[in-house]
Amino acid sequence: MSANTSDPAVVLRNIAAVYEGERVPAIYDINFTVKQGELVSIIGPNGAGKTTLLETINGLLAYTAGQGYVFGKDIAVHSRMLRKHIGYVIQNFDIDALAPFLARDVVMSGRVGAIGPLRFPRPSDWHVVRDKMELVGMSSFSSRPAGKLSGGEFQKLLLARALAQEPRLLLLDEPFSHLDISARRQMSELLSRVNRTQEVTMVMVSHDLQSVPAACSRVVVMDRGRIIMQGAREEMISSAAVASIFREGDT
Amino acid sequence: MIALPSPLLITSMAAALLAGFVCSTVGIFVVRMNLSSIGYCMSHAAFAGAAFGIMAAIDPLVGAVIFSLGTALLIGPLGEKAKLESNVIIGFLFSVTIALAFIFLSMIPGQAASGTALRILWGSIFAVTHQMVLLLLLLAAALLAFVILFYKEIVAVLFHRKLAEAAGVNTTVFYFAILFFTAAAVSLSLRLVGGLLVFALIVNPTSTAYQFFYDFKKIVVASPLVGMASCLAGFFLSLLTDFPVGASIVIVSAGGFAASIAVSPKRRRGGSAAS
Ligand SMILES: Nc1ncnc2c1ncn2[C@@H]1O[C@H](COP(=O)(O)OP(=O)(O)O)[C@@H](O)[C@H]1O
Ligand SMILES: [Mg+2]
Repeated sequence: MSANTSDPAVVLRNIAAVYEGERVPAIYDINFTVKQGELVSIIGPNGAGKTTLLETINGLLAYTAGQGYVFGKDIAVHSRMLRKHIGYVIQNFDIDALAPFLARDVVMSGRVGAIGPLRFPRPSDWHVVRDKMELVGMSSFSSRPAGKLSGGEFQKLLLARALAQEPRLLLLDEPFSHLDISARRQMSELLSRVNRTQEVTMVMVSHDLQSVPAACSRVVVMDRGRIIMQGAREEMISSAAVASIFREGDT
Repeated sequence: MIALPSPLLITSMAAALLAGFVCSTVGIFVVRMNLSSIGYCMSHAAFAGAAFGIMAAIDPLVGAVIFSLGTALLIGPLGEKAKLESNVIIGFLFSVTIALAFIFLSMIPGQAASGTALRILWGSIFAVTHQMVLLLLLLAAALLAFVILFYKEIVAVLFHRKLAEAAGVNTTVFYFAILFFTAAAVSLSLRLVGGLLVFALIVNPTSTAYQFFYDFKKIVVASPLVGMASCLAGFFLSLLTDFPVGASIVIVSAGGFAASIAVSPKRRRGGSAAS
C-alpha cells in the first residue's frame, strides 16, 4: 500500500454509526486516533459499542456521520482495499464440532484477500501459514479439524488466521473471552510480542480492565455509544469513574 | 420393467448423472451457508415456472429458469440481512409458489395434459431432451470451473462469511453466484427429478458427504460422487420397479444419508448413545 508511513493508523473524527432499521446511533461523537505501532485497548460494559467501533474501522459497517481514515485513506471510499491490510479477530465465534475445515485451511482463509482473486496459494503463502501457526504455538494442530479444537486453541487459530493476512492493523474483539487465566496471560504476552516484533498496530477490545495487557499504550473507555475517557492503563485502573461504570454494567 | 430404446436410455442416464453432479455440487454451498430455505423456495418457484411454461406453451425450462432466478433476486437480498422477517417472507413465498404451480397445472389445456402435469410434479425420464443434457453439461462445466478457480474464496466464505468479507473478499458476489447456480441446477434437474423432490437432491448427497470428512477438499470431491451414484442407482431402481424416477433417486439418496448417519465416523464417539 502506498500510504505514508507517518500517517496515523486510524483517525476517526466525529464518527457516528446507525444500524439499519434503528433510530439511535450505536456509537456517536467518536474521536479516536491510533498511531502506527500502538497497542490500544478499548474497554466498556456490554452494549457500549465496542464491536461497532471495530467494524466501523474496517468498514464492515458504514458510518453515518463524520470522517474516518485508516493509514491516511478514507474508509468510506477504500474500505475493501483497506480490509486487505486490516486483520480481524471476531468476538464469540462458536464453530460447530462437525465443521469441515482443517486448521491450516482456516489460517489460509485469512490470506485469501491478500492473495487476490484468480490466483492459487503458492508455496510461499503456505509458508506464511506455517509461520503464523508456529508463532501462536499451534503448528502441531495443522491437520486437525477446526471444530475439534478447544476454545483457547480455536482462539489462537483465529489469531493465526488474522496474522496470516500479514495485516498492518489488527482488530481484536475480546480475544480473551474463551480463555482461562493462564491462557489469558499467554495470549496477552503473545499479542504484545506480535505488536513489537511484527510492527502490527493493534486495537483490542476487552470486557474488563483486568485483561488489558500491561504493554498497552492507551486505554479507551466506552459507555453507551460514546468514548468517555482515555488515558494510560494505570490511570484508568485507578479511576473511580471507570470503576463505577463497570459496577453498573455488571449488575 | 420397461424395455427402453437405447438412445433414450443413454440420454436419460446422462441427464441423471449430470443432475446428480450439479445438484450435489451446489449442495455443498447451500448446506454450509444455511441457504436451505431460500433454495427450497427457489426449487418450488422453478416448479411453478415449469408449470407456467407448459400452460403457456413455452419451453418449461425457460419458465423454470425465469421463476427461480426471479425468486433468487427477490429473496437473495433478504437472506443477506439474516433478520427474522426474511424467514417470514420466505415462508410466504414458499406457499405462494406452490399455490401458483398448482393453479398453472390445473390450467394446462387438453386431456393429454394431465400426464404432462404429473410428470413435472414427480419427474420422468421421458421428459429428458438433448437440449437439456447439453445445458446440464454446460452448467456442470461452469460449476467445476467456479469451484476450481475460486476454491480459496469458497473455503473462506463457507468458513465464516463476515471474516471473509473482513479479509477483503467480496462475499456478496459469491453469495449471488451461489444463488444463481442453485437456480440453474434446480431448473435443469426439475423435469427429471420432479418439482417437489428436486431440492432433496441438493441436500441429501452433500449431507452424506459432510458425515464423513473434516477436510473440505474431500467433501468437494465426495459430494458430487455421492450425488451421481444416488442418481444412477435411483435411475435403475426406477427402471426395475416402475417407481417414478425422481422418487427413486430421492429415496436412494435419503437412504444413503440415513446410512451415513449410522456409520459416520464423525458421530461414532461421544454420540447420543454414549452420553
Ligand atoms: N446488528 C445490529 N442491529 C441493531 N443494533 C445493533 C446491532 N449490533 C449491535 N447493536 C446495538 O448497538 C449497541 C452496541 O453494540 P456492540 O457494539 O455490539 O456493543 P459491545 O461490543 O460493546 O458489547 C448495542 O446497543 C446493540 O444492541
Ligand atoms: Mg462486542
